[in-house]
Amino acid sequence: MPKHIFRLVSLIVGFLVVTIIAVPLLVPDSFYRFGHYRANSVVAIAAQQPVLQTANYCKDCHSERHAQWSASNHKSVTCEVCHGAAQGHPQNGKLPIPKDAAKLCTLCHEAMPGRPRTQPQIQVTQHSGGQQCTVCHNPHSPKIAAASVKVAGNAAAGKQKSADCAACHGAAGISPNDTWPNLAGQNAAYLVRILAAYKSGDQKDVAMTPLAQALGDADIQNLAIYYAGLNCKGAAGGKAAGDVAAGKVLAKNCAACHGETGIGSNPAWPKLAAQKQGYLVNALKAFKAGLRKDPMMAGVSRGLSDTDIADLAAYYAAQSCQSTK
Amino acid sequence: MKKEDSKPTLEARRAFLAKLGGAATCAGAVVGAATLGVIPAVSAKTETPSGGASFPTKDYDWTKHQWGFGVDATKCIGCLRCVEACKTENEVPRNAHQFRTWVERYVYLEGEKAVRIDSQQDPVNIQASGSEKEFRFANRYKDAKVEKAFFVPKLCNHCAHPACVQVCPVGATYKTEDGVVLIDHDYCIGCRYCVQACPYGARYFDEEKGVSDKCTWCYHRITKGLEPACVEVCPVGARVFGDQKDKQSPISLFIRNNRVQVLRPESGNAPNVFYVGIDKEVN
Repeated sequence: MPKHIFRLVSLIVGFLVVTIIAVPLLVPDSFYRFGHYRANSVVAIAAQQPVLQTANYCKDCHSERHAQWSASNHKSVTCEVCHGAAQGHPQNGKLPIPKDAAKLCTLCHEAMPGRPRTQPQIQVTQHSGGQQCTVCHNPHSPKIAAASVKVAGNAAAGKQKSADCAACHGAAGISPNDTWPNLAGQNAAYLVRILAAYKSGDQKDVAMTPLAQALGDADIQNLAIYYAGLNCKGAAGGKAAGDVAAGKVLAKNCAACHGETGIGSNPAWPKLAAQKQGYLVNALKAFKAGLRKDPMMAGVSRGLSDTDIADLAAYYAAQSCQSTK
Repeated sequence: MKKEDSKPTLEARRAFLAKLGGAATCAGAVVGAATLGVIPAVSAKTETPSGGASFPTKDYDWTKHQWGFGVDATKCIGCLRCVEACKTENEVPRNAHQFRTWVERYVYLEGEKAVRIDSQQDPVNIQASGSEKEFRFANRYKDAKVEKAFFVPKLCNHCAHPACVQVCPVGATYKTEDGVVLIDHDYCIGCRYCVQACPYGARYFDEEKGVSDKCTWCYHRITKGLEPACVEVCPVGARVFGDQKDKQSPISLFIRNNRVQVLRPESGNAPNVFYVGIDKEVN
């Protein structure tokens, strides 16, 4: 064999020997186990621990919140969307309660082209007057659903029974006194709710409690229907004792439930238009002080000063009680 | 004259090449025979995935699943909670240009022919969120005359014939038995060839770790019976995930009950993310 051929062949053989020895050493064990990759990397990736823990993880300790949330129409928004990943909680401390709810809520609820019509959306500048969403809405059950009770009463029977009420609330539901509310034209569902609250003791009043306790359920229905059917034309809130213009600005915060001029869309909430000024002031102060109990009103009245309350009362008292619709 | 001169030269070259070819074949045969000694040693290690105990974990057998993903763009509200959840779950760098999943907004204005497209990384949207670490769509079209607008969530398509896997020079990215395209971060050499190859722009390069990264359909979650993080947090059900082998799974129902389409079918990658409610401009 010529020398140069021998060299070539020995070079090739040498290369092969090196390859045969080196390949098993360099290729990781699990490479080619299933294909042209390291099978162990699949094991490593599958072994990583989840960071988001799902709502089931929260359920045991926060059962009350969980129950409320899972029954609401926010149940598709999992706990960790607002509170952050629960990995390491509770061992490593508390999860945050979002401070700027308005910023968080508007991620989904700001009216925006491209969002499906079925998504509840708000015009941010017109909706809350800059208040935080949590003032009115419970984030765990955001729908404000004062159940609108169906009222089925007899107006004639109500009229008979109303003789007992006339001394304070007027023969036609128009109160002669600034501190007692007008009832004519008020929402029947609201009247039923509030009379039932006096009767059960949920709400207390020196005059109303004993009167309401003497009423049967049918009486309450009849009275509500009777007063709701009365004409409120004669109602007048009295001479303004506050700044109507300032009240109008403040009233924007109340518009979602009570309507822009004090006539709301949901009959479970009272009409405020042309209501007695003194009564409105007392009611708001009672909510603020916690004497009248309502989670919604407690929240919204907390930030009102006495001047604000007087202005609001003056504004609503000055409105027409007849719906403009 | 010229032609006659060149003829013998050509023939001589042809004859030489023929001999060279023969020699090469012989040499190839020798080398090949020697190499065969190596190849069986390697191929003997290759198992059929169905054989043996369950893989990759003892509670999860990847031969029993074939994952699929659905996106219903008609439901998406563009809240970007999926993007947020993905960043948290997968330690995606907290910035406005690296994402495993993202959302695009398509807006058609009256009198304009071209569609306007932006996603959460658009400067206007970053400004609205107030930080590159938070995500929100700016309400930039609220006063415009919008003819049509919708949001489209995007992510890795986990293709049946992934171009990214084909081009990887070191076998650091691969298709699993259950239909997920994964990246072996320990084996990736950071050449970014796969980032270039993906027709959907689903991959990004993580400069800090020096490796490519992309959506895994939260492989660590789905192998534990959980849903991917983005599906878990989506408040409107715009993202659907499930096992295509289970005929009653959300994804099987989604594909069966809707007219679905995939992105860029002409690319031949055969994606496994199925879309409902998108226009031809989405790709």
